[in-house]
Amino acid sequence: MALTTANSPSVRASQGTGASAKRRRPRRGPQREGLAGYIFLSPWLIGLMGITAIPMLLSLYLSFTNYDVLSPLGEAEWVGLANYKRMFTSDPSYWRSVTVTVSFALIAVPLKLAAALGVALLLNKAWRGVGLFRGLFYLPSLIGGSVALAIVWVNMFNREGAFNGFLAIFGIEGKPWVNDPSWALETLMVLAIWQFGAPMVIFLAGLKQVPTELYEAASVDGAGRFRQFMSVTLPMLSPVIFFNLVLETINGFQGFTAAFVLSDGTGGPVDSTLMYTLNLYLKGWREYEMGYASAMAWVFLLAIGIITAVFFSTGRFWVHYSDGDDR
Amino acid sequence: MSTEMHPATGNSRRRLLRGIAAVAVALPLTFGAAACGGDDNEGSSTDANKPVELSVFYWGSEKRAELTQTALDAYKAKNPNVSFKITWQANQGYADKLATLAASGDVPDLFATDDNMLADFATRNVTADLNEYKGNKLDLSKFPPSLVEYGTVDGKLVGIAAGENTQGLVYNKTLLTTNALPEPTTGMTWEAFIDWAAQVTTKTKVPGTMDPSADYKAFWVWLRQQGKDLYNGKQFGFTADDVAKWFTLWKGARDKKATPTADIIHEGNVTDISKQLVVTGKAATSFVWANQMPELKKSTKDDLGVVAYPGDPSAQWARAAMYWNVANSSDNKAVAVDVINFLVNDEAAVTALGTDRGLPSNMDLRAKFAETVTDPAMKLSIQVENDLASKFGKAPQVPPKGHSTFRSELVKAAENVQFGRATPEKAAADLIAVVQPKLG
Repeated sequence: MALTTANSPSVRASQGTGASAKRRRPRRGPQREGLAGYIFLSPWLIGLMGITAIPMLLSLYLSFTNYDVLSPLGEAEWVGLANYKRMFTSDPSYWRSVTVTVSFALIAVPLKLAAALGVALLLNKAWRGVGLFRGLFYLPSLIGGSVALAIVWVNMFNREGAFNGFLAIFGIEGKPWVNDPSWALETLMVLAIWQFGAPMVIFLAGLKQVPTELYEAASVDGAGRFRQFMSVTLPMLSPVIFFNLVLETINGFQGFTAAFVLSDGTGGPVDSTLMYTLNLYLKGWREYEMGYASAMAWVFLLAIGIITAVFFSTGRFWVHYSDGDDR
Repeated sequence: MSTEMHPATGNSRRRLLRGIAAVAVALPLTFGAAACGGDDNEGSSTDANKPVELSVFYWGSEKRAELTQTALDAYKAKNPNVSFKITWQANQGYADKLATLAASGDVPDLFATDDNMLADFATRNVTADLNEYKGNKLDLSKFPPSLVEYGTVDGKLVGIAAGENTQGLVYNKTLLTTNALPEPTTGMTWEAFIDWAAQVTTKTKVPGTMDPSADYKAFWVWLRQQGKDLYNGKQFGFTADDVAKWFTLWKGARDKKATPTADIIHEGNVTDISKQLVVTGKAATSFVWANQMPELKKSTKDDLGVVAYPGDPSAQWARAAMYWNVANSSDNKAVAVDVINFLVNDEAAVTALGTDRGLPSNMDLRAKFAETVTDPAMKLSIQVENDLASKFGKAPQVPPKGHSTFRSELVKAAENVQFGRATPEKAAADLIAVVQPKLG
């Protein structure tokens, strides 16, 4: 069926233009089809090649050089694995940024998903005005990565900020959250968790897909609400949880904007918000070590790839796809 | 899908393909033509009346943009063949942007730097050597010689001082007078200054001074007072011991409550003028540049005063506040040099620019300009700098490549000590270990 539809236009067209075209048709028709296909694909192909593939390959090359941004590319010297070696052996700031990023992801991602699921469960009811609440909870995600929001955050969580004003009502003396190395990263985590709207919407969609007869059957069997949640909702929702987990983990590792704005582009106070991507940026653009920054980027890509692969390989133990599978 | 439609679809599709092919052929032609246009301009740059568009890039505030526009318009009025494509932005991110432009081979013809970035850009040949224009197109005869030297890296004249400034200790005069406290004076020792600040804290509840442990320019002046310097060629001119002593001096000040708490100090550790603690009311004094007085005054209602940094004022020097630079890749170097010469040596331009980028580099015009100034904050900064001029010591060398790393690592080390996460000795040793390999 698909084959006939694809071929018929050229068949008709050549019939219309006469005998000479008819003779050449078998040879040139499919070729021309292919060409047209590539031309229509070209906006995407050019984008992929020009904006993603070629720069990525170039950065792979740069990661083996001492390219410094300011000198012409041709003057960059090949340094072999020196950049990679330095990262793992003699750059304390590198490990500092790995620690910051991993602890950010380990804490912020699970809490964000828990918040998203919790609110999605609450909003999965046919209450009046539930649509409004869905919108309101989603709102922070809309303005998610914005610089403006990060600036608001800084002003809410400094010593004279709104949050400390709120604490003062209860007689609690607040901290200079964003300006205190013990709390700056935690403030960033709260910001990330607060933006749980996007996974929440996906959870909501997932919850709507759970067949109601499963709940009916469960309640007939005498299962309480908690038991229903554990034995029906969670397994049925596991593909969606998996999807959100993978996506949010990758997002979590890549956090940059908020850390950049909150620390005035330094990763401070005292490297407490030195996220991996921020460190990479500082190395490339502030210290003019683009070769080293490129090497950092490739290690980062590999690490995220490995983490995602681990998720996928463990998925089969806890992700249940209901279709075509009568378990 | 109805089969009757197919012949038409086929025809229009062929027409579409032909159209795409035409565009595909035309595009390279257009680019090719544009490229040829570029070549033409380059070929005939010797013609003095040939229209030239000069790209200009600098950092600053809205106010500076207005002043610069006025000065450049004055140039355009005399040289109608020259037009300017001006881009400016805030200080934050300026160096990053300039580096990006350099990476893409698109450095503006005329741009600004300061001594924190000059060596980084000059040693990588982003900036042109202007020695060949000195004496003909570029008149530096009215500049103090130290200011010309301070734009020279490895024997190349790479930066022309857009203005001169020096370190200035700015204090909140209103706060001191209402509390009947004495004002700080030029020449008081660091110890006396810290005691004075502690006294201010006790009486006013406003911490007496910003803690400048993380401030490279304060550390620099202090080093010079110890007979050392920040750099000696491409090496540090000091040891870890000196850093530890400097950190310990301020640890003592914090113990005496002469300074704010670590988180407030962190707020003040930015270059942003409007966030300096003396204008945000979180400290009575801040360590800044003397020519920043008018800009600081905009952020506060209180009266401000300015003196030299504590210690012997001869450790301070006439510093090029910022530079004008010409791109090495520029096709219009001669025109760009001519514009710089106009900006620093033409009376109308100098009057328009005022002290925004520092006191005028041309001494004759500086004296003339000083007589006409009415803004009290500007008047004060000129007066203080003129008073200090007779005491100034020899200017140091332009900081070498890696200086920007030193600055950010100094902030990190100082904050480590301030937040009680490292001893002065440990932080000092780490600082040297991290930065040393980057110098050169």
